Amino acid sequence: MITLNHYLIVAAVLFVIGMIGVMRRKNLLMLFFSTEILLNSVNIGFVALSHYLNDLSGQIFAFFIIAIAASEVAVGLGLLILLYKRKNTVDLDVIQNMHG
Amino acid sequence: MEPVKFDLVALNLNTIMPMLITLGGALFILIIDLFKKLDKQFYVTVSMATMLLAIYAIFQINSAGRGFFDVMLVDGVAVISQLIILGASVLFMPLALTGFRFREFKFAEYFAFFLFMIAGFQFMVSTDNLILIFLGLETGSLALYALIAMHNRQKSLESALKYFTMGAFAAGLFAFGSMIFYGITGSVEIGQMKTVIEGNNFSNMPLILLGTAFMIAALGFKLSIVPFHTWTPDVYEGASAPLAGYMSIVPKIAGFVVALRFFDFLAMADDGVVQTLLWIAAVATMTIGNILALVQDGVKRMLAYSSVSHAGFVMTAILMGTTQAHVGMFLYWTLFLFTNLGAFAMLWISRHPSKQFDIRYDHPFTKFSGMVKINPVAAVMMAIFMLSLAGIPPFAVYWGKLYLIGAAINSDHLYLALIMAINSAIAVYYYLKLVVFMFLKDPSQNDGTIYNMNGTFPLRLVLIVAAVFVIASIATIEPLSAFIQTHVVASGF
Repeated sequence: MITLNHYLIVAAVLFVIGMIGVMRRKNLLMLFFSTEILLNSVNIGFVALSHYLNDLSGQIFAFFIIAIAASEVAVGLGLLILLYKRKNTVDLDVIQNMHG
Repeated sequence: MEPVKFDLVALNLNTIMPMLITLGGALFILIIDLFKKLDKQFYVTVSMATMLLAIYAIFQINSAGRGFFDVMLVDGVAVISQLIILGASVLFMPLALTGFRFREFKFAEYFAFFLFMIAGFQFMVSTDNLILIFLGLETGSLALYALIAMHNRQKSLESALKYFTMGAFAAGLFAFGSMIFYGITGSVEIGQMKTVIEGNNFSNMPLILLGTAFMIAALGFKLSIVPFHTWTPDVYEGASAPLAGYMSIVPKIAGFVVALRFFDFLAMADDGVVQTLLWIAAVATMTIGNILALVQDGVKRMLAYSSVSHAGFVMTAILMGTTQAHVGMFLYWTLFLFTNLGAFAMLWISRHPSKQFDIRYDHPFTKFSGMVKINPVAAVMMAIFMLSLAGIPPFAVYWGKLYLIGAAINSDHLYLALIMAINSAIAVYYYLKLVVFMFLKDPSQNDGTIYNMNGTFPLRLVLIVAAVFVIASIATIEPLSAFIQTHVVASGF
């Protein structure tokens, strides 16, 4: 029997995976994937909670998160293409000029 | 399930009118651009008209109320923060009419993005529904990333990417925090969360703390609260000067309003854990921001760290939780708006193409040395903004500092008041460092035209407006705080 807790544990594990990805990855494309994992882990949690509480607003939130994740990737990929055209790389360490 | 009743009066269109106007203006610019390529003067005029119309629409909202199936909540706090957002935008817009040609102003999209961003932040402050807060936050932030990247420089792209990755991470944290609170309370509205959590007498404290930690982190990225401030100086350095000034004001006031709505009741919990967390965050932010600002070589980076420190200063209002503190928060930010935008506009007007002073910075301290002998008017103006930021009476920010420290003493946060006073004293050092460079050092090799190279009449007008406000704040402070007080009290904070 799969209960609410199972779903929430999956959501938490995915969130941690995404968080580690955001912190460790230097490849910009991989970093975008990680943020997608972050947001989608939240979706799982929201839908499970919404079903458990018998309340629709959680599912509506999940839909909006999907929309936001899509637009975030659109803007992110735009920046990434700009970077690739100029530097021929998508590695974050290479473009690092400012510090201090 | 009952069918949804769609009644135009019940929608209360007044509540959404200011955002509809800004969105309409943005779409108008995009449509015009399809048919005819026009000058930036035209787009600036349209944007200014749109924003002034939106300000007019805000004054037409005479009763605080909800609209759109209770999703919108336009109370006094929403009205003041929208006025701050639009006021800063009106001051920002003429800065696009520069002497030099910049690539980003050639595109109509720049102005459309700008208006979309304003609409996003307007939505963010005038609701207590977490879905709409999240949507507004992301609309505003995504447009802002694009605005930063459009400035055609290698550094700008780098700073846009840094801001983007941090922002995307913050979005994930915000969503996860909302999920935890939705799980605890079964609602996505802050008002109902408050009712449920207080009804249970904070029984789920470990979970509430976990959710609060996520929320503090998510909003902390937007507000540049230590330890989530690391992006701030890099992003400000890479963005164009007026946009950096704008970023230090508008996204932050939107974040502060959300933090106010969210943490106000949590900070008042009996065991005071959330309050302690906010205390540590605020004190760390103002102290570390100040200390790092001491060692900077570029004026823009110094101003970036100083704005981190100012954010920490205002953050204290949320943990105090008294009406006086909340009034102080909005008052401080209004005064800070004019001062900081003025200071960044001074950097913008002295923008020059060659890097003759420093390989890395556009505006190192040495660029301003001896400025008073070459261009006394500009030097005095810059000095006024610096003295105001330092909190020296009778200039604008002094009154905000006075008000907030007074609120801290009145609410029995004596140590906090002491730390705030000490930090204000530290801050004087690095602002006066620039004043010393301008007034006491010998001029470096230049003929003075450099301080006015990018200048045009609209830029000077913005500077004059900001400077007059900063100097005359002694007269305006009384009606301003009365106006803010009525609105804050009316919305129950």
